[in-house]
Amino acid sequence: MKWKRLGLLFEPKKAKHFAGYEGFAQSPQVLQVDGLNRTYFSIRTKDVQGLFRSHVSYVDFDGSFSRVVGYAGKEVISLGELGTFDEHGIFPFSPCRVGDTVFAYTCGWSRRVSVSVETATGLAISHDQGESFERLGNGPIMANALHEPFLVGDSFVRHYSGNFHMWYIFGQRWISHPHTKVPERVYKIAYAKSKDGIQWTRLGQTILNDRLGVNECQALPSVVFWDDQYHMVFCYRDVFDFRTTRDKSYRLGYASSRDLLTWHRDDSQVESAFDDCQPGDWDYNMKCYPHFCVSGERLYLLYNGNDFGRQGFGAAMLDV
Amino acid sequence: MGRVFNPTEVTGRPWLKEFAQAPCTLIFDDFVRVYFSSRPHADTNGQYVSYTGYLDLDRSNLFRIIRIADEPILPLGDLGMFDEFGVYPTSVMRCNGRVRAYYGGWTRCSSVPFNVAIGCAESRDEGKTFARLGPGPIMSYSVQEPFILSGPKVRFFNGKWYLFYIAGSKWLVSEDRPEPVYRIRYATSDDGLNWTKVNLDIIKPALEANECQASPDVFFDGSRYHMFFCYRYSLNYRNKERGYRIGYAFSHDLVNWQRNDSMAGIGVGPDEWDSEMVSYPHVFELDGATYMLYLGNQVGRFGFGLAHLDSAL
Repeated sequence: MKWKRLGLLFEPKKAKHFAGYEGFAQSPQVLQVDGLNRTYFSIRTKDVQGLFRSHVSYVDFDGSFSRVVGYAGKEVISLGELGTFDEHGIFPFSPCRVGDTVFAYTCGWSRRVSVSVETATGLAISHDQGESFERLGNGPIMANALHEPFLVGDSFVRHYSGNFHMWYIFGQRWISHPHTKVPERVYKIAYAKSKDGIQWTRLGQTILNDRLGVNECQALPSVVFWDDQYHMVFCYRDVFDFRTTRDKSYRLGYASSRDLLTWHRDDSQVESAFDDCQPGDWDYNMKCYPHFCVSGERLYLLYNGNDFGRQGFGAAMLDV
Repeated sequence: MGRVFNPTEVTGRPWLKEFAQAPCTLIFDDFVRVYFSSRPHADTNGQYVSYTGYLDLDRSNLFRIIRIADEPILPLGDLGMFDEFGVYPTSVMRCNGRVRAYYGGWTRCSSVPFNVAIGCAESRDEGKTFARLGPGPIMSYSVQEPFILSGPKVRFFNGKWYLFYIAGSKWLVSEDRPEPVYRIRYATSDDGLNWTKVNLDIIKPALEANECQASPDVFFDGSRYHMFFCYRYSLNYRNKERGYRIGYAFSHDLVNWQRNDSMAGIGVGPDEWDSEMVSYPHVFELDGATYMLYLGNQVGRFGFGLAHLDSAL
């Protein structure tokens, strides 16, 4: 695949509409509304303890992502109540049209003591074209389970061939950094299936081979049907030192499938987009939280760059 | 009948220093194995972890302790797992030549003190040691049960598995720390592994809207199902007036329960160890008699006692 990078599409610190936030616009994910590309992202505030919380908002682009045409009036969903799974943030937030409604699969964050965080997947529904969402209930639709013991999240859902399909991640183990002793998590991409988008049956195994060994961390799968096959983009990194070291931090991976079951990993299909990336570029040190989206019969790849998307998100377009 | 076990008198077991909570029996030919949860002394921050262990009582004299386990039946969970800080309470059942245990696994949270999900482990040595079926919980949080799934009691009735447990519904903000509200619920299963939640509170609150309920212990006497459980006020409950009492309900179908606490037939005792509080009942039948094990003051800080059912329920 040959890509043309379009550069930064949205920088929250330059948008007056988001003046009250601490920056970041993470995990852009698109819902098409009347020819617009409504692009959700997670943006941060700081709480009284100085800790970040992620909130969900959106920016509307035209059909070719060349122009911002509007913003969310307010955050599209509140954070969870005291002690619930999504109390400390929602990131990412993944919309999927279901009939006249929009389902949003949320990744809710709650803080822990011995390790930093736990996540689970929630479901919220919109009846107003994605302007606002209501939770199904205070708990998650998919949480940790016998063989997926923590950090279930990053759910991405599409409806193909009469079924709902979910790609998501789960944590396998926490391991302490050899020098700092800080616990870091290992997580992998997995798959689940559903008739109604609410009750899910998990396949119970990982679906992509590791490129960096058993401790490779795989995140944020996004799938699109394009040119007679399914394409998945995701990001992956080393388990340690990924915040500071370029060759250990997030980069983009890719896999393709014809049957939604067997995936052929070939990261070179998206790596080629960054051949001309230069030190100092907004996406030189890190590429993460990607999203595939077809608009105007073009395939777009939205993604975050350095520092986990602090500056905002950008895009590339398949060059055909 | 009095106290059976006082954990403060035990020596040589670092995991068994304070508390003996949530007793649960497994009957053997010559003895009755009583699983319970206990704690090492609190850490420097005043925080506890809980382990489950057991002691064996002479079947012909339930006040005679034959042995106390040297080690807990299961280590705590690994770093970051749901049961890293506690295995409590535990409920056991024989299954295909093994012993299956369901337990509450405790983790520590930042905005609230803890969360609990239900784990499962099996023993191949007659209940002395157990191994987890997997590193995660067998029953976790869901849309209508957002946190604190605990107090599992596993049963097998009419060819079906039943798990009675509690589920949290909200955290109340009180003066010192958040306090959870939790109620008795149940789930069913064909294999004891894949559970279907009913998603209903099955015991109506009696004290207040935020009544907390625990230890739903169900047995069938040939004509109907009986449940003993415990309940308390949601706030300021660490005292005689608002602390745990033992309640009772019965059912013909395991779905609809008629609560009648006056039939529980047990209240706080005259002795020092259970004068303020009784809780966490476990009822078992043995050699033609029906007994109840229960906790005394401070939810088992000073051990558990035994009562005998004197009249028909």
